[in-house]
Amino acid sequence: MELNRRNFLGSFSSVMMLMGGVAINRAEDKPQEKERYAGPPVNCAVIGCGQWGREIITELGRQSRANLVAICDSYPAYLKRGGNAAPKAQKVADYRQTLENKDVHAVVVATPTHLHKQIVLDALQAGKHVYCEAPLAHTVEDARAIAKAAAGAKKVNFQSGLQQRSDPEIIHILNFVRAGAAGTPVMTRSQYHKKNSWRRSSPNPDFEKTLNWRLSKESSVGLVGEMGIHNIDAAGWFMNRRATAVSGFGSTLLWNDGRDVPDTIQTIVDYGKGPRLVYDATLANSFDSDYDVFYGTDATVMLRDRRGGMFKEADSPQLGWEVYARKETFFKEVGIVLAANATKLAAQGDNPVIDTQTNTQGSLFYAMEAFLTNTDLVRTGVNDFTSSFGSDDEKALVEYLADVLKGRKPAADWKEGYVATVTAIKAHEAIMKSSRIELSDELFNIA
Amino acid sequence: MKLSRSIISLITAATFLTALGLQADTIRYQARPGSKVKLDGTSTMHDWTVQSGIISGFIEFDSNFPLDTSKPSTDLKVTPKVEVTIPVSSIKSDKSLMDEVMHDAMKMKDYPKIEYALKEMKPKDRKAGDPLQFDTKGDLTIAGVKKEIDMVVTMEPIAPDKLKVTGSKTVKMTDFGIKPPAPAIGLGLIKTGDDVKVTFDWMTARKDANKTASAQ
Repeated sequence: MELNRRNFLGSFSSVMMLMGGVAINRAEDKPQEKERYAGPPVNCAVIGCGQWGREIITELGRQSRANLVAICDSYPAYLKRGGNAAPKAQKVADYRQTLENKDVHAVVVATPTHLHKQIVLDALQAGKHVYCEAPLAHTVEDARAIAKAAAGAKKVNFQSGLQQRSDPEIIHILNFVRAGAAGTPVMTRSQYHKKNSWRRSSPNPDFEKTLNWRLSKESSVGLVGEMGIHNIDAAGWFMNRRATAVSGFGSTLLWNDGRDVPDTIQTIVDYGKGPRLVYDATLANSFDSDYDVFYGTDATVMLRDRRGGMFKEADSPQLGWEVYARKETFFKEVGIVLAANATKLAAQGDNPVIDTQTNTQGSLFYAMEAFLTNTDLVRTGVNDFTSSFGSDDEKALVEYLADVLKGRKPAADWKEGYVATVTAIKAHEAIMKSSRIELSDELFNIA
Repeated sequence: MKLSRSIISLITAATFLTALGLQADTIRYQARPGSKVKLDGTSTMHDWTVQSGIISGFIEFDSNFPLDTSKPSTDLKVTPKVEVTIPVSSIKSDKSLMDEVMHDAMKMKDYPKIEYALKEMKPKDRKAGDPLQFDTKGDLTIAGVKKEIDMVVTMEPIAPDKLKVTGSKTVKMTDFGIKPPAPAIGLGLIKTGDDVKVTFDWMTARKDANKTASAQ
């Protein structure tokens, strides 16, 4: 099994593997404890049963609110493997069959990036709730089409696959940074270092290009688009800024196997005046794996394996809460642990750790949980409203849903997905051209 | 033969017109979006509030119903017909876990709606210009348990064809067979109090009763 950043962050299985065991979860293996009735289940389908799609199938199997009714892949071997984790789900090769299935309420689109657009547009047209993996698309035009369709689909829930946005542990760390605990942002540095080819083995030459879409510049947004998009999103999210320019370089230094997408890249993302993200990724060296570091004038916050550690500058002001904080060796230095429940303060507020008491799952678990919860909110809201007042007054319905969604679980919506996707696409473009590209406001406008 | 057909036609027409005349006296206000019902309760940890933006249903009364606030109160000749429904699933806090606990306690799976039907209505003494207030009795059904409650409600014409109905009532969960939830959350058991204060602002708009009836 290839271990990449997304499944490392998102997978309980990965943690188990690192501990020397293998986590085996079938989609139908529900928790045994008695669950409260939380409304009818959300019938889901997963479109795309590649490696990441199968991670999603496994995570859906651990969600009490999910009922996985169908899986879809045009490649029979992937469909079969997906079926191993979801033996009761209907298996289809054509995604349109999934969308025609009235029993399917929500779809997770985990196909190759360049195939997202038509599937998502058709799914929204069919009235399905949609989770679209990140990046949304491989071109700005496709990403804009998806964003426009999602923005116009008022009666469905759309979530983009920036799973960190749903992770309570990372949100907890974000709150420290946003509250100014690290001072004024100075810069962000992130990396993704793995030694693997990114190449999928193919049974015959016909499937070679199809399976290895990430290695072709026609269909791929490269390392920065497929992996770095999460770091780009995190940097903008933590600094509360949108990217204004991207620069980059790339080379193929190890895997000279005919690919035309670099195996090693460096990129710099500007966020207006001052702070920048410096991101590098390689498939030729695995040293130090992957992490994000947010540098501020008062402290540095390191985010690694869903854990945060804060390292204060000697001249930084005392914030007061440090006396309650737990300190431990974090990576190479002793830092303050930024984890939910790591201080006594969390238990003294008005909302004492009700939703963050055990953030032991991976980011993907929380992203799926948010998708299902928010889908149920929208679905129930639409049903409650239309059964009471009819469906003529769409403006009132939209206002009602906006009120209902104040209780939504945190999740990346179409706007956040679009901004991160466009930034990553342009960063990839800069890498391919070894150039700098200014990002205009118009680029982020979907109109 | 021709004569008897004419007589039958006349009688039919007269009956139809009479019926139309009678129905024209019935005024119906239909629920509109923009309502709010709020439930306030207590617990060993902190007070809590949940709310819904949906109150559906209708009010039907005759044309003599005293809606004019510039006139003093008069007795009602006919008790209005009032039916109200609130989907349990629409009652939310900003915490999904709390919503699950609440919906489960209200037995949403078996009883997805809260219902109210008016039985008696009596105008409160008031002077010209005072708000329209009424003493009411009606059947409130929660979690499948029906219980008569009394309540003071206020009716406020807020536009020529719009009526806002407001009221408040404290009820006990146990009166409706609901065991106050005691979920194991966070640091231990949270015990909720039995009393729940229900406050509502119900927005309605006038509709032609016949049209409304045929539309349902």
